[in-house]
Amino acid sequence: MHGITSSTALWYASRATGVVCLVLLSAVMILGLLVNRQGRLPGLPRFAVLGLHRNLSLLAVAFVALHVISAVADSFVSISLAAAVIPFVSAYQPFWLGLGAVSLDLMAALIVTSLLRRFIGRRTWRIVHWLAYASWPVAVAHSMGSSKDMQSGPLLGLAVACILAVAGALAWRLGRARAEAPRARRVPDLMAAQAPPRRLARAGDR
Amino acid sequence: MSHRKHVTSSGAAARDRGRARLRAVTVSAAAASLIAAGGVAFTLPGAAIASATGTSSGSASGSTRHAASSSGVSSSSGTSKSSSSGLSSPTSAPTSSSGSGQVTSGGS
Repeated sequence: MHGITSSTALWYASRATGVVCLVLLSAVMILGLLVNRQGRLPGLPRFAVLGLHRNLSLLAVAFVALHVISAVADSFVSISLAAAVIPFVSAYQPFWLGLGAVSLDLMAALIVTSLLRRFIGRRTWRIVHWLAYASWPVAVAHSMGSSKDMQSGPLLGLAVACILAVAGALAWRLGRARAEAPRARRVPDLMAAQAPPRRLARAGDR
Repeated sequence: MSHRKHVTSSGAAARDRGRARLRAVTVSAAAASLIAAGGVAFTLPGAAIASATGTSSGSASGSTRHAASSSGVSSSSGTSKSSSSGLSSPTSAPTSSSGSGQVTSGGS
């Protein structure tokens, strides 16, 4: 039995979008791990996996925005906008909401640096992008700590499934990274292997 | 030359197909997310009635949508607010009384 009324709609919206955010952010994490190691998804070319990672990231950000706005706008629990952004200042569940604010801030850093990637350079962007590895577990801790919905029943199963899926993708990535030659050795090898045919092709064109 | 043109056009066609698939997957994911959010909202334990013998506790933690007061027992009358916990008690707040109290639990 549900109790969605006009006065509780925002409360439910905040909780429901939080659940969807967890799933979307997990999917983004998994795709990010796949993309980095040239992973593929059935039916999608490689560039589309990267595109899907970017599109799902934007979708996740939209849901995170809905989650935060509905939580702030809900009149029952007083969560200020500042508490949603500044960690550990909320009067309501300061620690768990603080983790949510930390995750939100890290996510904001990822988005801003991704938008400014052309200007800040690939190296800086890459370093900041490593924050995703911190942002996701903090978001999971926030969702499981602040919401009793996620502490039992099917939603707990969903959270565990998300954690296992990301852990599996991380293990796959680490396994691939270990199996491959180090980049410092791989790049010159690749260049040496590809250089002669290219020269021949150019000569053939002429 | 024509072979190269053929290869280029087939590459472009494959790229277009890839883009179309990407668009379809993205739109599907967005639609699925919205439907999931609606579905989750309807299945969340909002009006689950937790019966308690004796006095129900007014815990303000987790997803339990309780009105908090200094005594830890919620009051359904009026629109008083407890600022210390960040919770306010609405008029439809769960009631608590001696005997069998009822607590409306929600989520966070």
